[in-house]
Amino acid sequence: MAISEPTDAPDDGATDADGGTATADSADVASETATGEHYLVEYLRGHVAHAFVVAFFGLYPFAHTFLTGSLVGAEMAMFLPRVQTMITVFYFGLFAMSFDFISGYTGYLSFGHSAFYGLGAYFVILVANGKVPLLGSGTPFMVLLLLAGILAVVLALLMGSVAFRLTGVYFAMITLGFAQILYVFFSNWDYLGSNPRDGIAVLGRQDGFSIGVPYVDSLNMSIGQLQGDTFTWGMDFAAMTGIDALAPISHTIVLGPGEVSYYMVGLVVLVCYFMLQRIVHSPFGRAMIAIRENEERARAVGYDTFRVKMGAFAISGFFGAVAGGLFTGYRTSVAPENSFYFLTAGDALLASIIGGFGTVAGPLFGRLFHEGLHEFLTKEGGGLLPYLRSQLGEGTLNTVIVDGFTVAEAIEVFLNGRAGLYIGLLFVLFVLYVPNGLLGTLRGYLGGTVAGQVAAAVKRRVRGWKL
Amino acid sequence: MIPLVSLVDAALHFLDPAVLARVLFDGLAKASIYVMIAAGLTLIFGLMGVLNFAHGSLTAIGAYLGGLVMVTFAASASGNVGRIALFFVAIVVVFALLTAFGGAMEVSLIRPLYDRPPLYQILLTFGITLVLEELLRMILLFYDIQPSTDWLAAQGTRPEVISKTHDVFGLGVEGLEVFQILLGVAITAGVWLFLTRTRYGLYIRAGSEDGEMAQALGVNVHQAFTVVFGVGVGITGVAGALLMWDSAWAASINLGAEVLLPAFVVVIVGGLGTFRGTVVAGVLVGFVDAFTTELFTSDIVGFSALPELFIFLILVGTLVLRPQGLFGVEEVGGH
Amino acid sequence: MSHLLELADVHTYYGESHILEGVSLHVDPGETVALVGRNGVGKTTTLRTALQLTPPRNGTVTYDGEDVTGSETHEVAQAGMGWIPEDRRMFSQLTVDENIQVAVKDSERVDAHLDRAFEAFPDLREFRNRKAGNLSGGQQQMVAIARGLVGENDLLLVDEPSEGLAPQIVEDVANALRAVSEDASLLLVEQNFPLAMDLADRFYLMDHGEVVHSDTTEGVSADDEEIRRYLT
Repeated sequence: MAISEPTDAPDDGATDADGGTATADSADVASETATGEHYLVEYLRGHVAHAFVVAFFGLYPFAHTFLTGSLVGAEMAMFLPRVQTMITVFYFGLFAMSFDFISGYTGYLSFGHSAFYGLGAYFVILVANGKVPLLGSGTPFMVLLLLAGILAVVLALLMGSVAFRLTGVYFAMITLGFAQILYVFFSNWDYLGSNPRDGIAVLGRQDGFSIGVPYVDSLNMSIGQLQGDTFTWGMDFAAMTGIDALAPISHTIVLGPGEVSYYMVGLVVLVCYFMLQRIVHSPFGRAMIAIRENEERARAVGYDTFRVKMGAFAISGFFGAVAGGLFTGYRTSVAPENSFYFLTAGDALLASIIGGFGTVAGPLFGRLFHEGLHEFLTKEGGGLLPYLRSQLGEGTLNTVIVDGFTVAEAIEVFLNGRAGLYIGLLFVLFVLYVPNGLLGTLRGYLGGTVAGQVAAAVKRRVRGWKL
Repeated sequence: MIPLVSLVDAALHFLDPAVLARVLFDGLAKASIYVMIAAGLTLIFGLMGVLNFAHGSLTAIGAYLGGLVMVTFAASASGNVGRIALFFVAIVVVFALLTAFGGAMEVSLIRPLYDRPPLYQILLTFGITLVLEELLRMILLFYDIQPSTDWLAAQGTRPEVISKTHDVFGLGVEGLEVFQILLGVAITAGVWLFLTRTRYGLYIRAGSEDGEMAQALGVNVHQAFTVVFGVGVGITGVAGALLMWDSAWAASINLGAEVLLPAFVVVIVGGLGTFRGTVVAGVLVGFVDAFTTELFTSDIVGFSALPELFIFLILVGTLVLRPQGLFGVEEVGGH
Repeated sequence: MSHLLELADVHTYYGESHILEGVSLHVDPGETVALVGRNGVGKTTTLRTALQLTPPRNGTVTYDGEDVTGSETHEVAQAGMGWIPEDRRMFSQLTVDENIQVAVKDSERVDAHLDRAFEAFPDLREFRNRKAGNLSGGQQQMVAIARGLVGENDLLLVDEPSEGLAPQIVEDVANALRAVSEDASLLLVEQNFPLAMDLADRFYLMDHGEVVHSDTTEGVSADDEEIRRYLT
């Protein structure tokens, strides 16, 4: 959709908003179109931040292996999320980003956003099970992601054509209504599988789903918990030739299915991130922000606000479905509860608020925080509980606190799996005291000379959400 | 597609007086429940414009608190009269505790957010619901009550007269449904009288239309907010206590999510902030629920989730055709 | 001497926009004071600032000898300041009766106050059980004035009472305001300059968030060079 920018667009101090001033931490146009002399500084800082974040995620699996094997391995295993968990962070983070793209940038709370996620998730499995007409069960995964996205665009345009006649709570409720209709439908439609309420899983497809260039085998890597590819880099001359003397020059890096999935899913999410980021910083993104701040004014200065909203919703639906597709591509099963159900969108909301509402990457970090805390407080993956059990010793664990209630039981009741409680408390504290989220707040500090502008922009954003 | 023959069959099925009477009666009982679970929500939204996402978990807390009173004292209150009397004690206790809790919640958590856009109140109450649900789960686990399944001990405190199916003119009438209808009507009437016959009700109605004007006329709207939030939460708790006896709902941690969406639907369909609208929408949803349930149970339609589907269809349909709801005024709170 | 209402160097903002840039004015007991000026110069904001609906960032508002700056609006209202706002702000779903009842502060004697309102505005009596939203503009204006009357206010802030009303209705409203002004002081915002001068004893002329001129209304006409400059 081509949007011509009105000549008197409201808040552009410079003309370079779409010129690649990409900063991981600054999504608000106003924050980076400061004055001419800061442009280069901003540009460099932006790319330093990007490079740093990409390097961090790129090295994470190695760092994780290294650190958990070190002297403080037990402590590290407790704090660092496992690589599998990070994959969840990637695809759900992308979903949260797509949610925030519409909700945080235009101010229209898409409470039924799980519709897109569910659509993508179900679409991938249904095709793999040969349940979608015209599409063979062997259709390449990348094609499926694209088709799921396009399907979501169609759904978004249908929903949006009705929903964007409303604002505020009403908009949130009608999108919720649509998503719940799909939820009920997909929970009960027996065409999907024998027990639709419990969800469906990939049945026929043997080779798993691969990410890469479609139809070019050598440029694809399979993802999945079980079926994922492994990857070996380097040459083990010693093993190849049988000559032990070659061992010193034999270096290989072997990536297991988990790591391969991590990199491949991460790659897709990274590409999506750059696309979203690009859109946000384009004239179209500026139009979205103009709508959030004051829709009437945006209309008055010449934006076709309905088309902008529809376009934004379609884009956000597209990426929501891609995220859903990645989810089932990796997990190979889905249930209505973890896809179409409205609380899935609630989790995206959580991630967005903690990470930074109205920032591009914030929701991903919000989700990282959520998953990290969750893992920290569950038995699996070496969180706090196994650590406490191994460190505290029998004596302490069996100490009675009150009335036959032991330390071990207290841990069980107050910590094990109680991540929801602490996430909830944190969420409440964030809403009350850190309304801009992690990234939004960080942006405030990093802004330096533009700090004032950031604050003003944030205030405008907050005020722009209308009932 | 439903063939024409079965449409005729369906019509004939509903013309059977026994079926019709049962559907209408079920509808009335369901309507009572829908009105009850939405009443507190609509009061709070009407005056304060706060869409309380913690509504569902507060209902669940009410169910457990009511159940706690019943289970604790059931042994000393036997017989129909004793149990029903105890139930009334239970709802008084639930109402008092949850009203106090709601008031405290408004003062400490919601009040700081009035200067911020409504989104933040939605976010905050959404956060509160996460905390409440986990706290409840923790307490239940502490007392070895399985949180995610129905609390059968509480259901077991139903007096015989309510558990039984009575024979009235040859029709089977469930005692529980009669009880739900009576209580639903009584509480609806109570809220109605509070709103229309008391000075405080007048302030609430005025304040929900134009809070600023009411303030300028000397009404302490802040205090009214606290009272309304408290009373709204109290009523929500009472609704929960009523659901505790009903095996279709029952006290469980999932009750919150089960209640939240239908309550939203009733409030929105009725028109945000009008109690009359909520009552009418509750009745509408109740009858549609009863009718579609009958369509499934009599094998006319093979889709078991028909009632659930229809609830959301009603929501979407209303928002498309009449966004302000059946009785809503356009731009309520839009000053 | 003590003023009933006094605004001293009041600065008020809407968000970041500076609306009142140092307004000072006062109203004495028994007076009717008009506030005139073009649209958007801050007249309505001045009234809202007095009521603490939009509290000032700087400066003080004194009412009846008390500093009310930053108080709650309902406290200021309870102290005897009434508001008859622009567009009348009816509680449209409430009946005329109920609209007036809300404004009665002395809850012991609601009926007596209602009777007094209907004595002052006999025409309203036949509509008393009708929803205020269904009344005509002139009738609504009467209800708005009645609400100001039953609150036993010493000062009424009246905003654009003639706006959108037919000329003969304007005359009725003017008479009602005259009657009310016997019991209370009025601070009146009015676009209709001759009407404002007719009703008021004194006037303040505002421009760009400041008072630029003040005088008694005696012999003042809109043709005055100085006044015309600020009104057109």
